[in-house]
Amino acid sequence: MALDQRVEDLEQFLARRGQALLRTAALLAGSVEAGEDLLQAAIERLLRQRSRVDGDPEGYLRRTLCNLATDEFRRQSRWRRKLRLLQAEAPRSADATVGVDLRDAMVRLLGQLPSQQRTVLVLRYWEQLNGPETAELLGCSEDAVKSAASRGLRRLRELAGGLEREEMQLQDMSARTGDGS
Amino acid sequence: MSLDVEDLLRQGMERFAEQVPIPSGLAHRAARAWRRRRLAIRAAAVAGTAAASAAAVFVATAGSGAGSAIQAHTTAYVVSRVEKALAGQHLVLRGHTSGGWGPSIYWAYGPRNRFEEFTGSGEPFLADGTALIGGKLTGVYVTYYNRKWSLLPEGAGPTSACSRTGALEMAGPAAPARNWPAFIHATLACGAATVTGHAWIGGVKTVRISGSPVTERLLPGEARAIHEKWLRSQWTLYVNPKTYLPVRLSGSNYTYGGPMPSSYSTGVTDIRWLRPTAANIAKTLVTIPPGFGHVNSPANQ
Repeated sequence: MALDQRVEDLEQFLARRGQALLRTAALLAGSVEAGEDLLQAAIERLLRQRSRVDGDPEGYLRRTLCNLATDEFRRQSRWRRKLRLLQAEAPRSADATVGVDLRDAMVRLLGQLPSQQRTVLVLRYWEQLNGPETAELLGCSEDAVKSAASRGLRRLRELAGGLEREEMQLQDMSARTGDGS
Repeated sequence: MSLDVEDLLRQGMERFAEQVPIPSGLAHRAARAWRRRRLAIRAAAVAGTAAASAAAVFVATAGSGAGSAIQAHTTAYVVSRVEKALAGQHLVLRGHTSGGWGPSIYWAYGPRNRFEEFTGSGEPFLADGTALIGGKLTGVYVTYYNRKWSLLPEGAGPTSACSRTGALEMAGPAAPARNWPAFIHATLACGAATVTGHAWIGGVKTVRISGSPVTERLLPGEARAIHEKWLRSQWTLYVNPKTYLPVRLSGSNYTYGGPMPSSYSTGVTDIRWLRPTAANIAKTLVTIPPGFGHVNSPANQ
């Protein structure tokens, strides 16, 4: 099949399933923009794998998204450590953090988890995949999936607990200075 | 207060997903990126020089210890400055590329763009970009050597070099981004590039931004064609510190790992920003010469 025909077919497929895939990609990558890049990279791989374009490309794209997200995370992990140091130096205003919604914060905290834990949690809680399905998609054992999910949730609890304490302290501070009314 | 992390996570994902737009043109964008990358691979194969010289060029950009801490601060400073330059720059980009992938020019203004490659004797070889067909902006691909053209749907250009695809596009010919300040901001913020110093270009002390090298295994067909297994690409952008618009982009591609001697090529695109006069804007469109035959796909050209 000619390239432009395959591209057209893929566009039609993405018109139906693109948003769902982009949502998964954005959750894996941490932002909509990064998710778009991730999905584009996965689509490029799909276009290069001519034999896999025929038939339903969704499974291939989903698997590639997970693999690429892991690669990106590994590459960026060193940089993230540096950024965290910089962020620690910046003064934080109480007003900016009052009212932080833990639900929104939870998605941001996902980005701080190691890649496998994050991917497993996205697949479980967003894609609604069970253990065997996740293991098959990631090419690992069910035990590895269970372990990654358990460690990921534990870490999220720790991180979210810290946020909650911080927010309560800031609210106390605001109330004492009269800003909280 | 106890936290039900699983419920919060589910709800957080739902809320986050509501903000995700319906994507459009992703397959077209991916196809274009792939095609540009193949151009770069082809150029690397044609340019072939010794591996030793290539190895000397690819030096890791990230430092260590105190040096890298300073670098992170500098990058963070540029990130904060670029944010202030995010207001749209309504100027016409004119890029002139020389080096490994042959002389070429690139014109861009908003969604309009024209990339044109020339032969060694200065004859047009191919053009790739947008044309007005039936009054509508449409992506086209023209090959002058066989007098053919085809439709090649346009993408939006990479929003950053954070992904492997974005980084590989930056190391190929032309200057692919549409919104440069936003592109630089996103790329520095994700760590896919760092500020690595300054360089004087055309009397301006520019900020040098170096992309992290990316390595990719070549597809079997490509590997067989050039007798190598791997492609390693890197790009460097030089930006004006007042406007955060690029004045130069250099990209290098290195293939290795096969029975043939490794090949290395580099291309330098010098960029000028021009006023959006009617004449300049007209140059951002591809013109299909009369008498050229239309074919269904670029693959047939």
